[in-house]
Amino acid sequence: MTDATEQDREPRPGLIPIPRSTAMVWVNLAITIIIAAIGFGVGFGQGVKAQDVIIGTLISLAVTLWLLNYVVVIFEMRAATRSLSATERKGEVRGLWQRNRALIISMGLLLLAYLIVTASVPEFRSVTNLIAFLVLELILLFAFKVSGYFASGRSAFIGLIVLGALIIISSFTIEGFLSGPNVKAILLFAAFLGIACVGQTLVALMGGLDLSIPFVIGSANIGLLFLISLGVPSFVALLFVLVIGGLIGLVNGLLTFKLQGQALILTLGMGFAVAGLTQILTSIGSAFGGNVFGTVPPWLQNLAAMNGTTFGLAFPPTILIWIVLAIIVIIGLRWSAYGRYVYALGGNRRSAKLIGVSELKYWTLAYVISGVFSALTGSLLLGWSGGGFIGVGDPYLFTTLAAVVIGGTSLMGGYGGYGFTVIGVLVLQVLSSFLIGIGLKYEWQQFIFGLLILPMVALYGRAPHIRAQV
Amino acid sequence: MSERSSSTSTYLLVPIVLIALLLGTAAIRNPSLVSLSGFGSAIIVAAPLTMATYALMSLAVAGRGTVDLAVGPLMAFINVSIVKLNMLGVVTGPFGVFFVALGLGVLYQLLFALIVIWVRVQPIIVALSGFLALSGINLVILPRPGGMAPEWMGSWGLGTTIFSPVLLIVLIATAGWLLFTLTPFYANLRMMGYDERAAWTSGVRINVVRVGAHVIAGLFAGLGAICYTALIASGDPTQGTTMTLTAVTALVLGGVSLSGGRGGVTGALLGALNLYLIGFVLATFNFGAIQAFVTQMSYGIILVLSLLLTLLVPVIGRHISFISPWGAFLVLGAVVVGIMLQVATSGTYLPAEPVAGAAQGPLMTRYLLEVPMAGAGIGIAPLSPIQKAAFIAALGLVVLVFTARLINAESRARRMGLFLYVLVAVLIIALFAVVAAQGHSTLLDGGAP
Repeated sequence: MTDATEQDREPRPGLIPIPRSTAMVWVNLAITIIIAAIGFGVGFGQGVKAQDVIIGTLISLAVTLWLLNYVVVIFEMRAATRSLSATERKGEVRGLWQRNRALIISMGLLLLAYLIVTASVPEFRSVTNLIAFLVLELILLFAFKVSGYFASGRSAFIGLIVLGALIIISSFTIEGFLSGPNVKAILLFAAFLGIACVGQTLVALMGGLDLSIPFVIGSANIGLLFLISLGVPSFVALLFVLVIGGLIGLVNGLLTFKLQGQALILTLGMGFAVAGLTQILTSIGSAFGGNVFGTVPPWLQNLAAMNGTTFGLAFPPTILIWIVLAIIVIIGLRWSAYGRYVYALGGNRRSAKLIGVSELKYWTLAYVISGVFSALTGSLLLGWSGGGFIGVGDPYLFTTLAAVVIGGTSLMGGYGGYGFTVIGVLVLQVLSSFLIGIGLKYEWQQFIFGLLILPMVALYGRAPHIRAQV
Repeated sequence: MSERSSSTSTYLLVPIVLIALLLGTAAIRNPSLVSLSGFGSAIIVAAPLTMATYALMSLAVAGRGTVDLAVGPLMAFINVSIVKLNMLGVVTGPFGVFFVALGLGVLYQLLFALIVIWVRVQPIIVALSGFLALSGINLVILPRPGGMAPEWMGSWGLGTTIFSPVLLIVLIATAGWLLFTLTPFYANLRMMGYDERAAWTSGVRINVVRVGAHVIAGLFAGLGAICYTALIASGDPTQGTTMTLTAVTALVLGGVSLSGGRGGVTGALLGALNLYLIGFVLATFNFGAIQAFVTQMSYGIILVLSLLLTLLVPVIGRHISFISPWGAFLVLGAVVVGIMLQVATSGTYLPAEPVAGAAQGPLMTRYLLEVPMAGAGIGIAPLSPIQKAAFIAALGLVVLVFTARLINAESRARRMGLFLYVLVAVLIIALFAVVAAQGHSTLLDGGAP
């Protein structure tokens, strides 16, 4: 107990962290210059404008130096407190193996895989692949060793490293990865996924799940177009769809509150019912079962289409909406009473109830928010695609869950946040863009997503052994 | 507790009542169900779903909220693997195919169990991971539906007879689980599912038990994939998601608790049959273009409702604890068998007089029978001797059961399970015998004069 309080009280690094040992300063400076030089060279190699390259190099120089110094300062502080409390020591070599066996094994396996592939496939022997391999090893090193020092934001730290590594690797291997249109596309799809994930994050923070999201997205998609084609003014129709989404969320929330622990099945059932009902309603009097035809109003198209403009700037407003929304949700979860109560309920239901937090209210509200934002995603997707299609939500069935989980929000509740989910969403989208870029088809992407989730979660989301739970 | 010996399986009441209602409706709406080919095709179509539900059930009993979302993609994976290996000519014989199917299922579930035990992440995340990975790899193995099932499987999927190998698989799987419930291992499994910490503290080797549950689930998944291959006679990588969702629905419909410790093969079987019958009954109403949507919506609503009904299970158990689910099963079973026999044979003994139906207007002919029951009458006169025997036997069984139930209640015996199993088995066999003895032609022609 005393250790924890001491660690809590330890001074945080200043705005401009400077390590105590001068050797580390020089090492940091050297690493920074090497990284900047690589960026410089690559920038010129790809034929970017000279000013951009210089500005980019300077920025990356500053940021990398700051980050490295920050990490070193944190290390030094922890080492100081640790050396005070450390009293016992095992045999040196054995202890080293004991503490790092997972790291050593995984790095060794990666090295082995790389060597085998390099030896057997001649086309694989290229500089970019070597760099990619080194970056992967670095990720492992960082993920295992450094992340332990970030007690609270460990998953976010890993996520950011993976994200950074992915961007570096993809910009090396794929032509035009960092070009304007591609970045815009990544951000746009990330925005769709991110908006759909707001509710999933909130619900997961309280230990629930919402699998009705994809069905609500699909239903909102065709429902909105149906209403517009009936002649309802488009703003009113959008509002109506959002309200209906909220109502579905309300029913979800009430039912799952009553049936604790069955959220997965219940929301799935609700999703089935909603999707079926919407399709029945929209296809009454129509010869084409399930298909809705109509024209999407221009403002909605501008909102979400790739060539949309925001206040004259050439990016769709959806991205701006997502950014604003993310800031609001992050701040709200961190500082508003609602956000704090959500964490309290997720952390320990009973104690939260004992201090007078209304379980029903906050639980249900989270589901209502989930319903509203799913409906919003569906409406925005209508603007993006320009045609109604019930299956538009299908990819979101497990991707919302995957983004939340990869970001590091615990599905048991009480730990995580929307900021983590944003990282998870970006990781997923950049990865998918990378996989498309190197020519992998959708099925391979799905396969790799599936395999990615496990190690990501295993790095930070492990439950204690049962002997620690009794 | 000792006063309510039936409370352990009260949750079965809901699926039992539901299946009686559905079976009755199905038989009335579409009399061709009650024939050799009707039953045969029903068994073949429902078998993969049943097996998938069994697999989910054995995992759900193991607790920790294990719902293997990947069971559908896993079965699709085994399906496309079988078909691919068959097309390449590597594995074509029955033994090889069974070995591959069961082996793949067990291998995957073993991996699942080891990850859950050693990496200690939540099962739902492993399931999610497996779902995405398997759905992806399925499309890599077989990009679009197609291919050929092994030749010896060709006759399995025809569904012209009840006693197909698929029925044998289902029966063996069911009997296997029932035998398994007699072992102490099963007791440990249920204990672990109910309260893992208590099980661990009292010396149950929970890791071994968990691996066992997953291996069993893998076997079920492998058998399900074989049934599925027999059904579609080709490979289909795309149906994984649907199968997962329907299997989960069936699981809940069968009253299996997803939080562990409660559930059994009976519930899972009833749930799967219920789900099949819902689809069957809905298909008899002609909704035209929106048929698929109505089915989807009903699945959803029934899923939610049956979940809500589980809230009532304790209430039911408290107030009507004198009704044993098995007693209800027998009574309702007898009623349904009666309806089926009546429907299946009503045309056979009718005087050819279809005018009565026309006079009653379109409403009656649409919502009731194609052949009005008026001609058949309520009397027992038009029954064949075999039918008479069956009715008397069913009636005798019901009387016997209630006598036994009464004796049981008086003597406060702990269980009379075996006795009831025998009775149910006799009832079902009697039904089969009657249907089989009726012969092919009369039954098939009987439905629609």
